[in-house]
Amino acid sequence: MIETLVVSNLLLWVAVIALAGLVFALARQIGVLHERIAPTGALLLGGGPKVGDPAPVWSGGDLFGQPVQLGGGGGDGRGTLLLFVAPGCPVCESLLPVVQRLAVEEAERLRVVFASDGEPEAQRRFAEQKQLDAFPYVVSTELGLAHGVGRLPHAVLIDAAGIVRAKGLVNSREHLESLLEAHARGVASIQEFVARSPGAEQSAGGHP
Amino acid sequence: MIDPVLLVVLRGALALLFVTAALHKLRDLHAFRVALGDYELVPWPLAGLVATGLVAAELGIAVMLVTPWARPWGFAAAALLLVLYTAAVSVNLLRGRRAIDCGCFGPALRLELGPGLVARNALLIAGALAGLLPPTPRALTALDGLPIVAAIAFLSAAYAAASRLLANAPALRALRGEP
Repeated sequence: MIETLVVSNLLLWVAVIALAGLVFALARQIGVLHERIAPTGALLLGGGPKVGDPAPVWSGGDLFGQPVQLGGGGGDGRGTLLLFVAPGCPVCESLLPVVQRLAVEEAERLRVVFASDGEPEAQRRFAEQKQLDAFPYVVSTELGLAHGVGRLPHAVLIDAAGIVRAKGLVNSREHLESLLEAHARGVASIQEFVARSPGAEQSAGGHP
Repeated sequence: MIDPVLLVVLRGALALLFVTAALHKLRDLHAFRVALGDYELVPWPLAGLVATGLVAAELGIAVMLVTPWARPWGFAAAALLLVLYTAAVSVNLLRGRRAIDCGCFGPALRLELGPGLVARNALLIAGALAGLLPPTPRALTALDGLPIVAAIAFLSAAYAAASRLLANAPALRALRGEP
């Protein structure tokens, strides 16, 4: 009698723990699904200049009072990686270390400019916390509108002549690196680099 | 009065919880400092010090919980720390600042503030306070080992699952088009 109860109890515990593990796995999968489906809708609405078009010209002071000139060419011969971010955007935060590393590695070819929109005080705190002081940090609603930024983080690669070379939602390190890879190898068209890294532009909701 | 089996389960589960919480935060202490800064309760220059202090407190609580003579102090400190965390979350919920990371799991999982987080912490506080009840005088037998190990495993998995579901909540709200 007691033995039966012990065995039954044992079986029940095993079942309960297995079920709890299954619930955990399901919750995790739901999270992955959310990540995959979230950005697709907004991406289809993406406006702004197409790849190959001149980038909108913008000039003004950044968050730290430094003058910044975007688009129009005539710079120091380097391309520009314009990255739209915002405080409280977790994907942006996870991307920042990658951007900072790339900015150092590609310093000869590329300058990195951050852009955002919203209350300057929150922006300044965000920039300081994330150690972005070394980069131009533009706070401008017009710039975001001109580039048709829907979801963040959004990257635009502008070459030295002021032409948009690649752009899109960059949700992961892979997206950003493929964007820069296209630039480094002189790949002119978006089709070429999409072919090289499937999903970089079209389904930037991307990798799980 | 509380059965000694439940007491051991509470000790084990809470100790495990605090150790994992501290380890998650240690993986990226700077991120925890930033999360702490986002609560806007501690001046930014002090956030680093407070972050280190909180991680040390979590580790200390875990050690106290598994040390036989320090057990009641462990439960009391656990309840106190959880009350502190819950108060910090509640203040920011009242301020309407939901979209910040709670900092609970470091880089492993982003969890935004919400009523669910407060409810979760309330359950944990109840668990920690239950550990302060006097144990029923009965000796533990070998057979008690099964429910102890099994219950700790179950509670850990259930806690992880609940955290994931809480973390998914903002994505679900966005999908439904709710603010």
